[in-house]
Amino acid sequence: MRLTDKDRSMLDGAQGPVRREAMEALVQLGEAFDAEAMVDIGYAHVHAGMAMYLGDVELVERLAHDGARMAVPASSNIANADMSHWPATGAPEKLVTLQRRAEAAHRAMGSSPCFTCTPYWAGHWPTWNTHMVSIESGVTVFCNSVLGARSNRDGFFAVYAGLTGRYPNFGLHLDANRRPTHRVVVEAGARGTSDHTALGYAVGRQVTNGIPLVSGLGRRPDLDELDALGVGMATSGGVAMFVLPGVTPPYGEDDECGTGLPEIHVDDAGLRAVYEEMCSPDAAGFDIVHLGCPHASFEEMKHYATLLEGRRVHDGAQLWVTTSRTVREMSRDAGILRTIEASGARVISDTCPISCHFARTCSPDPGLGVTPPELSAIVVDSAKQARYVRDMVHCPTLFTSTENAVATAVSGRFVPRW
Amino acid sequence: MAVRIRGRGVVKGTARGAALLSGTPISFLGDLDIRTGRVTGRLSDLCGRSIAGRILVVPSTRGSAGAWRFIHQLRQHETHPIALLTDELPDPSVVQGAILSGIPVIAGVASAVGRAAGDNSLLAVDGEAGTVDILDEGVG
Repeated sequence: MRLTDKDRSMLDGAQGPVRREAMEALVQLGEAFDAEAMVDIGYAHVHAGMAMYLGDVELVERLAHDGARMAVPASSNIANADMSHWPATGAPEKLVTLQRRAEAAHRAMGSSPCFTCTPYWAGHWPTWNTHMVSIESGVTVFCNSVLGARSNRDGFFAVYAGLTGRYPNFGLHLDANRRPTHRVVVEAGARGTSDHTALGYAVGRQVTNGIPLVSGLGRRPDLDELDALGVGMATSGGVAMFVLPGVTPPYGEDDECGTGLPEIHVDDAGLRAVYEEMCSPDAAGFDIVHLGCPHASFEEMKHYATLLEGRRVHDGAQLWVTTSRTVREMSRDAGILRTIEASGARVISDTCPISCHFARTCSPDPGLGVTPPELSAIVVDSAKQARYVRDMVHCPTLFTSTENAVATAVSGRFVPRW
Repeated sequence: MAVRIRGRGVVKGTARGAALLSGTPISFLGDLDIRTGRVTGRLSDLCGRSIAGRILVVPSTRGSAGAWRFIHQLRQHETHPIALLTDELPDPSVVQGAILSGIPVIAGVASAVGRAAGDNSLLAVDGEAGTVDILDEGVG
């Protein structure tokens, strides 16, 4: 691998032990994937340090303690507890105390402690051709496909890239790997974010690690729908990028770029099948209705406030709205947080049902006293949340549209999408 | 005289221990109980067996962006495989998890190791050189 003098000075330890560790790891990664050189990155969305995983907060804490500082703008991914409003989630205090140590580490490292899976709604908006790294696959697909930035699906090494400002040039950082591999013809009438997560889920299952060229949507999806579409694809497959001509830079609306590619058709029946798959037949009632997967944007918060105005969450039901702490503050300033909370809904930040102490696939320090609650079912408006509630929380799901999820919370009776 | 198999060193480091041979891909997120290292995924032919302390020999790893974290969790619980031998190059998340956890990885060797070694064969792995030495025949 070709290294610059600056890369070598980091590798040799001239810039301290943290940058040496980071550069050694990045060089090894680059050599594994035949990268010819490193590139400068302009943004890093990095690991939070997660309190539900043994020794995981300590990963970022140790780097911060050893003097790690971000070399580029950086944001922190979703965490395992709401660090401010945790009693509303039933999280044990010791888990929150541990999670706050990660918050302190990010403050020291200079990464924004936004703790969200949608950092773009919190102001982190990379632009066309910006090389970047992301630990969250939903962020990867949004930034590649909507913003035109260049990102792989990264793991912990996003932190190393953020600390050095460098990343091996492979995968979706290279033009040759950013071309569509499949043509998707949408024959379904998808509307709203729920349908777009379901549509993405149906597509991702078929294209697995490919790059789908999406056609037939009939209109330009709004930003929340575009986000939902990519998140669905990244959940069922390994999709890191889609191409929507007219949206994805640099593709123009009339560009003919899908000729000869294998075709996939998704119709209303295909969309409906995703909803049906995510509605467990063994769900006996439900405990929680959840909105905000991925973390809600300000526009989605406005939508929830409109749906909830003057209504009350049914006795015995809980309505969780998850968003970043940044969007939460924006919603407070706009007066809509009050509207949402007046309905009895709980607005939760930094985490979500699949990322909090509900998860049964984690093995935290037993001293934290984490006991996942027994849940009869969670009603969701996102195929991503549905998939991971099933796989990680091990509880039945009921998947419906955002509007019908609110109707479910208010009436106490599940209202299906179809 | 030990048999030496050469492949592509992906993650450096050395390990010496008993082989655990599999003919099916494995997912680090979903197929494993991190507390015990036991394989719980029903699609794996190792279902019910433990990878802890073994040199895991699999044709490939199944993709998940979260694989690195579960490899690190296996390391934290000391239920990790001490080396990973594959045919296909694992995806970047697996490679990141292995580097972070100090688990050597060699690609392009699993089939050859499967032919020359048995379950429990004593292997010596050098991830930098990309070599696997089969020190005894094991069983099966």
